[in-house]
Amino acid sequence: MPPRTRQTERRPVRPVTITAVVDPVAALASENLDDNLYLYDTNKAAGSTGFGTPELRSRVRKGDTLLWNVLPLECETYVALTDIEIDPRIAEPTRKVYPGTDIVFWTAEVKQDLTEPVPYRLSFLLGTVSTPFSPTARPALAGPSDEGKEGR
Amino acid sequence: MAQQHGIIVLFDVENALRTRSLDGNTYWFDNMKFLGSSGVGTEQLETIVPGTYFLDGSQATEQVLNWLPAALGSIPPTVPRNYLAEQARAEDRRTLEELASLSAEGGVGETEVKQLQRRVGKRARKAESGRGLTPAKLLDVTGKATSSTEAYNYPAPVITDITGEAVTEKIIYPAQYGSPDMIYDGWYWAATVDTSRPGVYAYTVHVQLHELVERNDELVWESVDLTCESSLKIISDPKRNGFTGAGLGVLPLPPVPAAG
Amino acid sequence: MKDRISIVVMVDAVGALSERTLHNGNLSLVDDSAAGSQHQGTPDLVTAVVPGQVVQWTPIHVDVQTPVEIHAIEFLSGAPVPPPADETVPPYPVEPSAVPVPWTGADATASNGHDNHDLLVWEGVVPYDMTPGVPYRYRLSLKLHDGPNSVLHIDSPALLRV
Repeated sequence: MPPRTRQTERRPVRPVTITAVVDPVAALASENLDDNLYLYDTNKAAGSTGFGTPELRSRVRKGDTLLWNVLPLECETYVALTDIEIDPRIAEPTRKVYPGTDIVFWTAEVKQDLTEPVPYRLSFLLGTVSTPFSPTARPALAGPSDEGKEGR
Repeated sequence: MAQQHGIIVLFDVENALRTRSLDGNTYWFDNMKFLGSSGVGTEQLETIVPGTYFLDGSQATEQVLNWLPAALGSIPPTVPRNYLAEQARAEDRRTLEELASLSAEGGVGETEVKQLQRRVGKRARKAESGRGLTPAKLLDVTGKATSSTEAYNYPAPVITDITGEAVTEKIIYPAQYGSPDMIYDGWYWAATVDTSRPGVYAYTVHVQLHELVERNDELVWESVDLTCESSLKIISDPKRNGFTGAGLGVLPLPPVPAAG
Repeated sequence: MKDRISIVVMVDAVGALSERTLHNGNLSLVDDSAAGSQHQGTPDLVTAVVPGQVVQWTPIHVDVQTPVEIHAIEFLSGAPVPPPADETVPPYPVEPSAVPVPWTGADATASNGHDNHDLLVWEGVVPYDMTPGVPYRYRLSLKLHDGPNSVLHIDSPALLRV
């Protein structure tokens, strides 16, 4: 086991936020969410890739807190993240709302370090359609990059 | 009538503050991809502005651009902007209520006090503030009070100016406007576009980010001013009559109208 | 008499795209005719017109940033039998004519390799041979953004010569 520095008291830090930018009107008119979904995260410095595509690959570590939220391109149009399906051994996202609002976000803790990318599925509600939309492309969580593997 | 185009600029605030640059840390969007905007969702957005003119040469549809900044990894702009203040107040109310109930019970344990202290959180002061600025409570990205300077929610980036070729060439006339729209805090930058001179015109957006720093045992907000660039592609096409394809004509009525 | 009548087409684009219909309150038609139009504010608007007036249709989106354009306006024909050959010159060009009816608008909307229906002005003169007292229903097709689900239509509005 690699030697670890002393287990310091856990300080609250910013979660790794994964933001889904959605053009809801374009997605409804074209019935194509993939071309109108742009994913980003706050972990570019750690080596996340696929920014601006539905196939974002977020670099995460065991113990990271993840937070998913949504930014609609037309701010008047309703868009909500309605489900995140991922292997529960990796993470179990829970739905939350910003206190005092009905605006949804999801959080999860990464349960283990990943050796292989783990794809997951996002579902959205758009406009007043009751059936969720899901992109065909899958974003993924991935472990630390090879060059970044710790030899400490 | 006027056609409104929203241009959203998403900033990776944390990375931008770390590198002191917006290079690689901005993502631009508009909703005109279907009319020819390119680079949507990247740093190289070219926004199409489809101008129209009447056959006499005068400008037809007025094109209006609105710029809306957003911070990646922050409470999203769809959450009302006064939310931060509201939440801070709600936290205070709850804390006061619990203090009251604690003293009523006659005993205050150390753990309770610690809990309350955490909830009270830290307050930040704006640098060289002195007066006029409300000390805001720090909230984290889920809207809860935090005492950690590692976890606070970055304030929304503020556009302070729009300059560059498109402005000096008098293609756009940007200004800040007030709006009853609470989503964007009642303030936004907008510009009308002169579509009579087609071409690609670059422009620069001046942005102020805010960073919390510890100074003399006090937390203060400091502003960091940065710039980023985008461009507009102005095109212009003639208006035509939808029925005739040319000028005004007689409505194409059938000899016998449909029953009903 | 006014020499110009404006019919405003108000659309809740997100509602219409979500429900895939211009009914259910997603579309509202109003005009400024002073001659006694009926069903103002509904998709069943019957606009009272007199010959010689110019009628113009203008789309307005309820949600400001969603593009809404008129895709086509086609008057619905109830006559399976063509008019008699000896009939006098029709009030509008019939085939074979350089201007087909309805004209498709395909060329005039081409803009920079994209289709821009904002380029079309939907207006026309009420012909003098329009039969009074009979509603001339028309199909109003709207284009909301772009894609296979973007074009929706209604057949209920009409012009009525008073």
